[in-house]
Amino acid sequence: MTIGTGAGLRAAVSIALLGAGLAAQPAAAQDKTIRVGITLRMLVESGIAYGDIAKTVMESVNAKGGINGAKVEVILLDDECKPDKGVANVNRFIHQNKVHLILGSTCSSVTMPIADITAKEQVPQIVPMSTNTSITQKGSEWIFRVSVSERFYAGAYGKYLGENVGKKIAYLYTTDGAGIAFVKQLQDYMKEHYKAEPVYQVQMQETDLDFRSHLLKIKSTNPEILAIAGQSDALARQAQQSFEVGIPKRVWRVAASSAGNVTYPKLAGEAAVGTTFTQAFNCADERPIAKQFVAMVKEKYKFSCPDHDFSQAWDAAQIALVALGKANLKLTDAALADDRRAIRDAIATIRYEGLAGGPIEFCAAPTPQCRDGNRTAMLVQYTKGGENFETKVVGRVSFDKDFGLGK
Amino acid sequence: MLLEVTGFSKHFGGLAAVSNVDLNVEEGEIRGIIGPNGSGKSTLFNLISGVYRPEPGGTMYFDGENVTNLPPHEIASRGISRTFQMLRIFSQMTVLENLLVGHQRHTRYGILSAIVGTPAVWAEERRMRAEMMDLLAFIGLADYATMPAGELSGGQRRLLALGRAMAMRPKLLMLDEPAAGLSPLNVDKLLETVLSLKERFGLTLIIIEHILKVVMDTCDLVTVLEHGEKIAEGTPAEIKDDHHVIEAYLGKEMKDADVRAFLRG
Amino acid sequence: MTAHGTDEAAPAATTGAKPVTATRHLLAWVAGIGVLSVLPWLAVNDYHRFLLDLILINVILAVGLNIVKGFAGQVTVGHIALMAIGAYTSAILATKFGFPFWLALPSAVLVTALAGAIVGIPSFRLEGAYLALATLGLAESVRIFISANDYLGASIGITDIPPPSLFGLRLDTHLSYYYVVMPLALAGVYFSFCILRSNTGRAFKALREDPLAAAAAGINVQKYKTLAFVLSAVYAGCAGSLAAHMTPGFIHPNSYMLAEMVTLLLMVILGGIGHIWGGIIGAIVVTIVYDLTRDYYNYQMLVFGMVIVLTVMYMPTGIGGIIDRYIVTRRFVALRKAKGDAA
Repeated sequence: MTIGTGAGLRAAVSIALLGAGLAAQPAAAQDKTIRVGITLRMLVESGIAYGDIAKTVMESVNAKGGINGAKVEVILLDDECKPDKGVANVNRFIHQNKVHLILGSTCSSVTMPIADITAKEQVPQIVPMSTNTSITQKGSEWIFRVSVSERFYAGAYGKYLGENVGKKIAYLYTTDGAGIAFVKQLQDYMKEHYKAEPVYQVQMQETDLDFRSHLLKIKSTNPEILAIAGQSDALARQAQQSFEVGIPKRVWRVAASSAGNVTYPKLAGEAAVGTTFTQAFNCADERPIAKQFVAMVKEKYKFSCPDHDFSQAWDAAQIALVALGKANLKLTDAALADDRRAIRDAIATIRYEGLAGGPIEFCAAPTPQCRDGNRTAMLVQYTKGGENFETKVVGRVSFDKDFGLGK
Repeated sequence: MLLEVTGFSKHFGGLAAVSNVDLNVEEGEIRGIIGPNGSGKSTLFNLISGVYRPEPGGTMYFDGENVTNLPPHEIASRGISRTFQMLRIFSQMTVLENLLVGHQRHTRYGILSAIVGTPAVWAEERRMRAEMMDLLAFIGLADYATMPAGELSGGQRRLLALGRAMAMRPKLLMLDEPAAGLSPLNVDKLLETVLSLKERFGLTLIIIEHILKVVMDTCDLVTVLEHGEKIAEGTPAEIKDDHHVIEAYLGKEMKDADVRAFLRG
Repeated sequence: MTAHGTDEAAPAATTGAKPVTATRHLLAWVAGIGVLSVLPWLAVNDYHRFLLDLILINVILAVGLNIVKGFAGQVTVGHIALMAIGAYTSAILATKFGFPFWLALPSAVLVTALAGAIVGIPSFRLEGAYLALATLGLAESVRIFISANDYLGASIGITDIPPPSLFGLRLDTHLSYYYVVMPLALAGVYFSFCILRSNTGRAFKALREDPLAAAAAGINVQKYKTLAFVLSAVYAGCAGSLAAHMTPGFIHPNSYMLAEMVTLLLMVILGGIGHIWGGIIGAIVVTIVYDLTRDYYNYQMLVFGMVIVLTVMYMPTGIGGIIDRYIVTRRFVALRKAKGDAA
C-alpha cells in the first residue's frame, strides 16, 4: 500500500467522524422541555404555511409560561412528499432529538412508513393531513388521525350524490394516488349501494394535457355526474375542457379533494364554478372560531380562502397541546418512554371541537374506529372561480365509526 | 502476401475519397504511401483498419484470412496496428497505461477473475507492466511512465503513439504521418526508432508521409495516390522519375530538374 | 493500491523505490474492515447508525455510477431508475412470492443487470447530452410505469417489505442492518478497485477518452460500454434492494425522481469523477452534508445545484482530484528535498 491509499482512507474516515461529531451537537436533550417533531411537505408556498401554522400554534404556549411549566420546542422538517426523506426526518426526531411527539405528514405515502417507525419505536404520532384508509388499519397503538379518512370522503360523495343528484357517473382521472383512490371508492360505493356501474371511465397520465377526445365520448353518454381526479392543475384542465366540448352545466362536476387546493380555482377560472369536492373544512364557515382563523391566515399568509390543510395543521397542533396539557410528564431523559406513553394515552381520551366540520374524537383501541378521529366530511362547491374564488357548503355528512370498513 | 486489398472504394457525398484502389504488401516490406493533401491516404488507412467500411466489391485479406468488413477491434486483434495523424493518445491516462491499453489483446485473464482480483491477475499485470516498461525504455520514454500522457511534449507524444501501436505486438504497423511537425534531427531519431522496432519485432510497415525524404530513404516500395486513385507504384527510384507523380505534386509547369531536387529533399 | 488508479509499480521498477507488497495491501484492508466493524458502536445514537446505513447504501450507488459515468465516460441520467428496478424487484419477490432477503437481493441484482444492458443500448449511437436525454427518458418511463401499475403499488407504494433475517433473528434495527450493508459495501468497493485497476478499467478509460483510438487498439467499444452499464447496474440493483429491505421496509416511486438523480450526480462529481475513490468520498460527504442542512430545507436544493455548478467550474476533478494533487505535490517536494540533500 502506498501513500495514496493511506491518505484516501484516512481522509474518508476522518470526514465521516467529523460529520458524525457535528451532527451530534444538537442532540443534547434539555430537561423541562417538551420536544415535538413536525414533518410535512413544504415545497410550495402553502406547504410552508402549514408548517408555520403548526409550529406557531405549538410554540405560542411558551409566551404564557409553557405547558405546566415546560417549554415546547418544535423541530420542523420538510419531507417533500418523499418517503425516504420522511423516514430520515422521523429517525432523527426519535433518536437524535428525542422528541415526545411527532406530527406528520402530508402525503399518505410518507405517513405510512412513518407510522411503521412510530409503532416500532413507541412514539405517539398525530397525522394532520393524510387520508389513505390503510394508515390506521395496521393496529398501531401510537397513531391518531386528525384528517378525514378516505373511507368517509368516499361515503360522503356516494351518499350525497346518490340521494340528491343521480347515479349515472362518468370518470376521467390521472395516475395520481389520491385521485385513483377517490375514483375506486366512489365506484365501489355506487356499486354496493345502488348497483350502479360507471357509464364511462378512462385513466390518463399525469402529464397529459388534452382530455377532449374522452370528454366528447363522455358527453355522448349523457351522464348526470362527471367525476374528475388528479393533481390540481390536471383537474383544472379537465374542468375547462369539459365546458369546451359542451358538457352542459347541469352535469355535476365532482372532483377529488385536490380541487380544494387554491391553485385549482386559479387555473380553472370560471370553469371551476359548480365543481363539488369534499373537505374537512370550508373557509366560508360562519362559526366564530373559523372566521377568526380565516382572518388570521389572510393576514399572515395572504391566502384569502385557506383550504382544509391549513385548518388540519391548526387542529392537529391544538390537539397536541391539549394532550400535552393533560398528560402527566416527567420530562427527564430517563422518563422519555413513559412520557411518550402518557402523551399517547392522553390523546386517546380527547374529544375536541375546532375548525373541522365536526368533533374529533379518539379512543384507546388501536383500530380505525378509534384512531380516525374526524368522521365529518363536507361537500363544498365553488360559486366563483379565479383568484378571488368563493365556495359554499352544499352538504355535511357525519359517519359512524365503522363506516366503510367492510364489516 | 501479408495484406491483399482489392478494389477499395469510399465516397463522401458525391466525392470519391478512395476509388478502386488495390494494395498488396509483402511480409517484411516497408511500404510508403504518398500523395497530395486530400488524395485519400488517410481514408485508405481508415478503410484498412476498419474505421470505415469499404463499398461493396472491395475485399481485404490479411495473412490469408478474409477480413473484409470486420469492425476495427477485430481487425486490430488480427495484428494490424495503426497510428493516427492527430495521434489520439489517451491524454488523461499515464504513459504506461497508454501502452497497456495497446497491449490489452495479449492479456491472459478474463473479466470475472479481474473483478475478484485473483493472484493470477496480479501476476499477469506485473508481467504486462514489466513488458511495457521494456518497450517504453526502447522508445526512450521510461522516465515518463507515470506521467499523464497529456503532459508530454509534441515529439514525445509521437513516440508514445508509436509505442501504443507497438504494444499491440502487431504483424502490420501502419503509420499515418509519423514525422509530421518534427525537427529534422527528431525525424532522423524517429526513423531510427521505427527501423529498429521493425528489426526487433519483424514488422511489416506501411507509412503515410508528407516528408518525402522519409519515404524515399526508408521504403522498399512506394504507392502514389491522387484524387483517391492509385496513379503509380514502384521503387523510390522509379517513382522519382514518374511524370504522373511529378505532375500530381508540383503541377505541369515545373522543370524536371527542380522537381528532382525537391524530391531528393 | 494507489490513489488514482494509475500505477505505482512502474516508477518502483525504474526509480528503485520500494515495490508494492501484498502484505501492505492486506494490512490496509484489515485496518479498513476493523474500523468499519466498530464504527456503529462509536455512533452517538441510533439516528447516526441509520445515517451510516444510508451512507453505505449511497456509497454502493455512487461507486456504481462512477464506473459508468466517471470511468467509461457515459453520461447517464438513468442510474436512479436502475436503483428503482432493484428495489421493486426485491420488494415484489419478498412480499408477493415470499423470497427471503438473501434470495431476493441476488435476484434483484440479476434483473437490474439485465435492465442495465438495456439502458446501455442507446450509448452505442448517442453521446453526451443526447445520451443523457435518452437515459433520462428511460428513467422517467420506469418511474411512470411504476406509479401507474397497481401490481407495483402504483402511487401508494409497497409496504411491509420484510427485513433480512439470520438464524431466525430479524435484522430490523439500524445496528443489525449495518452488518448486512457494510460487508456488501466493502465487497462492492473492493470489486470496483479490482475492476478499475485491471485491463477492464483501462478499457473504460480509453473509450471515455477516445472511442476510435480505443477500437484501433483492439478494444471492443460496444462490449465495454455494455459492460460498464451492466456493472453499474449491479451496484444500483444491490443498493436498491438494500434500501427496500431497510426498516421500515417501504418504497415509493417518489424516491426515484430527478432530484434524487441530481443528488447522486453530485456525489460522483464532488467526490471526483473518474477517481477511484470518487464515489466513496462523494457519497460520504454528500449524505452527511445533506443531513446537516436538513433544517434549511428551503435552500437545500438551491445550494446543492450551486455546489454542482461551482465544482464543475472550479474543481473539475472534485475532492479526489484535490487529494491527488496534494499527494503528488508532497511526493515532488520530498523528491526535491532528497535530491537537495544528496547534493
